[in-house]
Amino acid sequence: MIEILIACVQTLLLVALTPLVSGVGRFMRAKMHTRKGPPILQDYYDLAKLFKRQDIHTKDSSFVHRLMPPLFLGTMLVLALGMPMLTRLSPVPFLADVILIIYLLALPRFFFALSAIDSGSSYAGVGGIRELMVGVLVEPSMMLALFVAALSAGSTNVGVMGATIGSLSVAHPVTIIIVGFAFALACYVELGKLPYDLAEAEQELQEGPLSEYSGPSLAMVKMAMSLKQILVVSWFIAIFLPFGSAVELTVVALAIGLVVYLVKLALIFFICSVFENAVSRVRFKLLGRQTWAVFGIAVFGFVFWILGI
Amino acid sequence: MDILNLSIPSIFSLSAILSVVGALLALVTGRSEGLSKGLASVFGILASCAMLGVGVGSLLGSASLISIPTPFAFASFSLLFNPLAGLLLVVINLLAILAWIYGTSYLAEYKGKGIGPIGFFMNLFVVSMNFVVTVDNAFWFLVFFELMSLSSYFLVIIEQDEKSTKGGFLYLIMAHVGFMMIMIAFFIMAGITGSFEFEVFRNTPFVPAIASVIFLLTFLGFGCKAGMVPFHSWLPQAHPAAPSHVSALMSGGMIKIGVFGIVKIGLDVLAASGCELWWGILVLTIGAISSVLGVAYALAEHDIKRLLAYHSVENIGIILLGVGIGFIGIALEQPLIAALGLMAGMYHLLNHAVFKALLFLGAGAVLYSTHTRDMEKMGGLIRAMPVTAMCFLLGSLAISAIPPLNGFVSEWFTYQALFDAAFRGDAVIQLFAGFAAVSLALTGALAVTCFVKAYGVTFLGASRSDAARKAKEVPAPMKLSMVVLAFVCVLLGVGAPLVAPLMQTVASTTLAVGPVAVAHNTLVVNPEMGSIISTPLLAVLLIGLILVPLLIRMVFARGGVDSTKEPWACGYQHEAGMSMIATSFGADVQMFMRPLYRLRSVVSHQATRLVVLFERATKGAEAAETQGIQDDRYLADSTGAFVDWLGHQAKKIEGGNYRVYLVYIVVALLVFLSMSVLAY
Repeated sequence: MIEILIACVQTLLLVALTPLVSGVGRFMRAKMHTRKGPPILQDYYDLAKLFKRQDIHTKDSSFVHRLMPPLFLGTMLVLALGMPMLTRLSPVPFLADVILIIYLLALPRFFFALSAIDSGSSYAGVGGIRELMVGVLVEPSMMLALFVAALSAGSTNVGVMGATIGSLSVAHPVTIIIVGFAFALACYVELGKLPYDLAEAEQELQEGPLSEYSGPSLAMVKMAMSLKQILVVSWFIAIFLPFGSAVELTVVALAIGLVVYLVKLALIFFICSVFENAVSRVRFKLLGRQTWAVFGIAVFGFVFWILGI
Repeated sequence: MDILNLSIPSIFSLSAILSVVGALLALVTGRSEGLSKGLASVFGILASCAMLGVGVGSLLGSASLISIPTPFAFASFSLLFNPLAGLLLVVINLLAILAWIYGTSYLAEYKGKGIGPIGFFMNLFVVSMNFVVTVDNAFWFLVFFELMSLSSYFLVIIEQDEKSTKGGFLYLIMAHVGFMMIMIAFFIMAGITGSFEFEVFRNTPFVPAIASVIFLLTFLGFGCKAGMVPFHSWLPQAHPAAPSHVSALMSGGMIKIGVFGIVKIGLDVLAASGCELWWGILVLTIGAISSVLGVAYALAEHDIKRLLAYHSVENIGIILLGVGIGFIGIALEQPLIAALGLMAGMYHLLNHAVFKALLFLGAGAVLYSTHTRDMEKMGGLIRAMPVTAMCFLLGSLAISAIPPLNGFVSEWFTYQALFDAAFRGDAVIQLFAGFAAVSLALTGALAVTCFVKAYGVTFLGASRSDAARKAKEVPAPMKLSMVVLAFVCVLLGVGAPLVAPLMQTVASTTLAVGPVAVAHNTLVVNPEMGSIISTPLLAVLLIGLILVPLLIRMVFARGGVDSTKEPWACGYQHEAGMSMIATSFGADVQMFMRPLYRLRSVVSHQATRLVVLFERATKGAEAAETQGIQDDRYLADSTGAFVDWLGHQAKKIEGGNYRVYLVYIVVALLVFLSMSVLAY
């Protein structure tokens, strides 16, 4: 029962905090560009304003275009329920299987790209394809890293993997560090940040499918995309950096878990933000080469694991 | 249960008789196409309904072996009804019923092209498949296997244009290359045991070297039928050429018989000989390669049926991953892993049959309305054909392994089996299991890309041709078949906690190992690593949490909705020519995965070479025949006279072009029969 309560609370908390996280990101970028930048709460104002605007869909579009924003947001909420955040183990264990998470992330990606084609706009379409290609290039590395981590921990459940790694009882710590690094890089590409992507700029990039959205639908997609970023980072934290999260479900442990989780989240987003603003965009074609490098690191970890180092 | 077992063979014979009668009636009444179609369909549906009952009975019951003596002393007619055969019977006959229903409308496309022969060959095709999966005698197995290949060959070339005859010919050659290998393997076993009974093979431990040769021959032979890489080249040529409901039956049903053969021979018939580790690793590796290459080639296609045919290669690969783990588990003496692997394979076999049949029927519906298979000329069909579009969307999601649909559940089990094997195995197995898991991940991501393309370009956006603008929704029987299959896709996914134990029964009885607990209440479980998911609860949560924002938008958004505008297109003047087409998708993938495509030209070049070689061989045979000595000429002449006589008789019944087909079938069967009798 308490688990269900935790799941609901953490999901609501996440929804409430998401615009703040994206707002802080925008604020930091502005500071690093030595601009004044928007206020930290700007994304709350944006969402509220968008919600009052007209919801425009192109004349050739179908129900797919209308369904995508709620579907994207809804899927992220399902993921948020099962992701261990304050706790070490997942509050809803049947939602925390790593393979389920990878494939559940494909559901909104499928509709995201589909809605881009549905709009009939070529800019949206190009963006949609790129979104899919990112998935194609990143998923093998992600799977290999998780394969090694799961087998070292003896489970494919995010919570159990985190518990094993968190108790420092894993057989091959070096291997875990290597695959954790590979997984972190793969997650970073998934976040849709520079140098691969700039979620709120060029139309042919991830923003592309959004170019034909407006009003409440656009608000929902923006919300869902930020939520996805936080969830991907939480996923990484839950498996590879679970230290400090609540092992026992007492109020004190949960409170500590919450604080530690927020600190970890802030730290990782800070590092990502610094990195993002320190690099320039690479051409899309180069993404393939760099993901091969990530895959190489994962293979390295895999070989280490087989050799039993 | 006794009553059930007693009645199974009688229902089976009843169904077989119904099929044959239906086939003959379709032929006799061929002149009035409506009557012929009606008779063939009614008898076909009745036969398949009966056989579906037999399938369900075999799936749920215990194995029963029936032997009926025949005039040939060496080939008594043995029928084995076990859960594995039951699963295949259910798959084949479920698809057959829906294909028949679909065909009642769809065959309007084939007016004047020989509806009589289609009814004849389809009945024959279904009944021969039913026999292949149930007979337990090597001789009869080969007879029905050949009948299945031939009847489907004639369905492929029904359109009689250059493309279909070429595709059909390649199919015929590949089918016979496979057939030869299987036959040799069976003759080796028959030579050693002195019997054609699988039951005798089953109880004979073969020397490891012999067992390996038999395994290899049957694996490659059945692999030709299954369409695994490198024997896949016939699929994208033969499947698109056949009428769509036949494609559904071939892609959903027939190629599974290839997998069935691999499982039956490798894991059941050779069980007494033990299993070498490298067998499993070979199956696993071929499976991984097939899955990645199949989907990569599918992405480059813009012919919707060729795209689907390549996806069959991919899914056969995924099924083989599970089957490979089955082999590895047996070799490692880890029955739990073996059962889980084989179970994943069988589950995916069932799932692929359902969603691939659905997609082929959907493609057929599009073809029916637009008269083109070229996706570049479609677009926006969702407005004209909403039911087809919804069904095709569900099929696309299922084949892309999107939770909570059925494709995801079986792929989840495949991953779990791979994880288990790596968990318990040594470094070599870890290496191959890791490779397979990565291939499966890559396959999954590429499949998503491919079906966003297939669905988006076909059904969404603006219509790109007059044909697409004038498209209409298909008639009710076609819709019915698709809706049923879409419903089954959802059911097999959301109902996983109920379906998984059934598949587990198929796997554990085939392997003769103890049962494995793969489900618990609403959960689906991997007992080895303790991983759990729950598709029913996931479905409820997804629907609920998608509805919440949907309702919030409906109730609280005050700005109103406008869906009359041209695309904004970043401020440029929008033109219809700007929208996405199928080629745009292939380009990006091909840029990132160039080596995969280079490999294809090498492989398909080899297949072409095989065809050329075969053509030369037949020419050479012809030349030799005309110069033959007296004895040979006698044989040739009498055969020729017989063929002429047979043709003459057939002509009396009806002057259609299928008399030639009939002669082909009879002659091929005769040649084969005499060959095996002589060899024996």
